Amino acid sequence: MLPPTIPTSFVPRSASTASHRFHTDFTGVFDLLMYIALGISFILAIVVFSYGRILSASQSAKDTALAQAESAINPATVEEFVRLRDRLALGNTLLAGHTAFSKFFSSLGTLMPATVRFSLLHLSFDDKGKVKFEGSGVAKNFNALAAASTAFAQDGRIKDAIFSNIVVNPRDNSVSFALAAALDPKLVAFSP
Amino acid sequence: MNSRILPIFALLVSIGIFFAYIRPTWSGSIATARAAIASDNQALAAASEYAAQQNELISARNAIDPTNLARITMFLPDSVDNVGLILNLNALAARSGLSLSNVDVIASSASTRGTSAVGALSVSGVSPINSVDLSLSAIGSYAALQAFLVGIEKSERLLDVRDIVVKGSDTGVYTYQMLLRLYWLH
Repeated sequence: MLPPTIPTSFVPRSASTASHRFHTDFTGVFDLLMYIALGISFILAIVVFSYGRILSASQSAKDTALAQAESAINPATVEEFVRLRDRLALGNTLLAGHTAFSKFFSSLGTLMPATVRFSLLHLSFDDKGKVKFEGSGVAKNFNALAAASTAFAQDGRIKDAIFSNIVVNPRDNSVSFALAAALDPKLVAFSP
Repeated sequence: MNSRILPIFALLVSIGIFFAYIRPTWSGSIATARAAIASDNQALAAASEYAAQQNELISARNAIDPTNLARITMFLPDSVDNVGLILNLNALAARSGLSLSNVDVIASSASTRGTSAVGALSVSGVSPINSVDLSLSAIGSYAALQAFLVGIEKSERLLDVRDIVVKGSDTGVYTYQMLLRLYWLH
């Protein structure tokens, strides 16, 4: 029994035949690759073309849907909502700063002694939005004016009340005066 | 030699297809279409959100009593209508026992003034509110003034007294000068 590795013939093969066979195999593989590349190119071209069509159809559908959604928006409704929002928000803010001077006049009538009266009274807002109270008047005597000053101080809502230009009339001891003060915002704040 | 021509031709054709069609189409029209679709998707999502919010707002508005909506419109109207207001003030003064002698618009304020009066409630930097000051002179008793002021403070249309001067007299009839500020949405 012969070992399987022993050649069956002792005639040597020529080197040119082996080279030719290798060349033929390589060429065959190369050709196959070229055809595969061509096939892949065709397939890719078809895929890209189809994908483009699909995208185009999708875009067209979305454009239509968007146009419909846009046409469903009514600018008048939007404007109405914006105005209602502004009205509610601004109304709230304005109402928070709404002034009610009637409260001040009621308080003034209660606080001031009957022996003191104003001949001129001026309420206004300064640059910072605080209410200024300026006035001038006549008190029956100095004690009446002092009572008014004490009443303001005790009440606390008429702040920094400064009486000035105090002049005593020698004929009847009446006292004329000027007054400058600041009002507590609560005193002129509106409450429903 | 002929057996080489076809594979090489196939290679050239495949290269030509790639560079002449596949690549420019992918990076050109397909990329553009994808970007447009992405943009459309965003817009559609926003439109959907808008529609949902609009429905929500409509429900909220419908829940408000129409009478109250009319009152808030009267509270802050769409136009200044100072002539109608003067008529109402005159009627209020008459009811209060006050006699109006002179009414005038003394300052037309732009939206900036409205902003300073109201605060920073503005859209796109422009306040949607305008205001104007109305000066009026009146004569009457102290009680009449108080009744008039209460009427103004509780007026359906918002009116703010910005300035008031009271001049006394021995007769009990006083002279008043007032500055009223009225507001409206523009």
